[in-house]
Amino acid sequence: MSASASRLKAVLGIVVLIAVPWIIRDRYFLHLLITAGIFVILTSSWNLLAGFAGLLNLGHAAFYGAGAYASALLAIRLGLTPWIGLICGGLVAGVFGFLLGIPSLRLSGPYLAITTIGFAEILRMVAMNWVSLTRGSLGLYGIPPLTAIRLGPGMRIDFYSERNVYYILLLLLFATIFCFRRLTRSEFGLTLKAMREDEIAAESIGADSNRYKLTVFTISAFFAGVAGAFFAHYQRLVSPETIGLGETFTILTMTVLGGLGTLTGPILGAVLLTFLSEGLRFLEDMVKIDVRMVIYGLLLIVTMLFMRNGVMGLLTRVTDSVLSRKKG
Amino acid sequence: MRTEGLTRRFGGLCALDNVDLSLSEGEIVGLIGPNGAGKTTLINLLSGALAPSQGKIVYQGKDITRLKLHDVNLLGIARTFQIVRVFKKLTVMENVITGLVDRRRHGPWDLVIRSLKHSSAAEDKEVREGAQSLLDFVGIGKYRDELAENLPYAYTKRLEIARALATGPRLLLLDEPSSGLNPRELDDQIDIIRKINGNGTTVFIIEHVMKVIMGISHRLIVLHYGKKIAEGDAKDVYEDPQVVEAYLGEERNAGS
Repeated sequence: MSASASRLKAVLGIVVLIAVPWIIRDRYFLHLLITAGIFVILTSSWNLLAGFAGLLNLGHAAFYGAGAYASALLAIRLGLTPWIGLICGGLVAGVFGFLLGIPSLRLSGPYLAITTIGFAEILRMVAMNWVSLTRGSLGLYGIPPLTAIRLGPGMRIDFYSERNVYYILLLLLFATIFCFRRLTRSEFGLTLKAMREDEIAAESIGADSNRYKLTVFTISAFFAGVAGAFFAHYQRLVSPETIGLGETFTILTMTVLGGLGTLTGPILGAVLLTFLSEGLRFLEDMVKIDVRMVIYGLLLIVTMLFMRNGVMGLLTRVTDSVLSRKKG
Repeated sequence: MRTEGLTRRFGGLCALDNVDLSLSEGEIVGLIGPNGAGKTTLINLLSGALAPSQGKIVYQGKDITRLKLHDVNLLGIARTFQIVRVFKKLTVMENVITGLVDRRRHGPWDLVIRSLKHSSAAEDKEVREGAQSLLDFVGIGKYRDELAENLPYAYTKRLEIARALATGPRLLLLDEPSSGLNPRELDDQIDIIRKINGNGTTVFIIEHVMKVIMGISHRLIVLHYGKKIAEGDAKDVYEDPQVVEAYLGEERNAGS
């Protein structure tokens, strides 16, 4: 596809995204879009670790939770404005990312995966049991929403309505995707992929794999933390469940379904599964068990068996064969 | 580069025993020896992939004995591997670009910040031209957009050399660059090694194929059970009774 055609498509996509709240005025639909958007940041940041750098982190929800708790506590206890809280949540998560990066210097594959689960469980236990700070399993409630922006006397934008939250999230998403796009295409991203393919070979051309791992863990955690902070001020309730393995499993399923190691895959997967799991609600009400996780598991198996590169891989294959048929 | 009393033990096995050697600027030195003589271990030690049990490695007056693989590379020593280690899911050109990144000046955080400021350096015209000329140098320029895993074996060996050259080495360590090549590919490989040396790079090369090593080495070193048993030009080494017994003798007997 030519550069101008893909630019046109991008502009069209942005226009549609901006117009959506005016076309579909259903608040619940907007809520789903916001949820999907938050998941896009989570899947994209997880993908940077697992897809590009080949570091299987099964404690990603811990970064998300760290960001959510940090920003919420700063707002409740110190009255810090959530706008700065978003950054602080990211930074706190980034510190945790750096810390979790340290064992990754010595461990890889399944050993690293197990360690990251342990790490997330520790954080969850802290959130559960440090009741004086976190209110334990009750969770933090009464978190303030994003502070209203005053444009002038009598003119202000507040963030109680889904629509305004949606627009802020859209900005955040553009920024995030821009960063990941630049990162993955850069010499940094190329080095990550090289390390994923063969760490010793990457070192033989001068890449200090330890420093790269710490860097990518920190960056990935930062973005997950920002997503967590955003979630906290939107939902206005954070509980230890946020840090659970179930949350990481959802992120993993979305990313793998969409296409691991691609830029658009995690976005696609997050949106698809958010809406799918809503569609499954009625089923859940009927059978009264958590079907969602069962379906996720099945989706994972099917993806692994029949489309290793996810929906993105499938799409590329289909367009390739159509194109070659046209040529032939 | 020079080593003093270089020794490496694996458990009770002494893979390399008290080896002294020196390489001078601009030479091609060949390292031969029967299987299990410790040749690859020596290259692993020189490149920093392994740490020696005893002994010292000095490069350009600097003690590099304890440096790691990546630090050794940044000092200007690049290597290839006996069993090819290319980045399979990267394109041929991307493989070389990973080597072209100026890692002496830019650490990972630096690269992150640069990538946010400018659009992709990997798509930079100058970088791509640099990579292209290296690929042309080893004769696989037209495969630049193929995934490395799709290259025929002989070309992956060349790609590995191009990637090593991309890091701008003064000394290149080649671990069996011609193993598994057919006679024609062998001649090409010899030409490439000669050209590299012609550009002023010192080459240290492990080789089984006698034709290659005899033809291009200025000097040979022979290892046997981890010990250096001979050193000198091809003719001297070939006639050295110890070498004949340890290594060439077996082949002569087998051949007759």
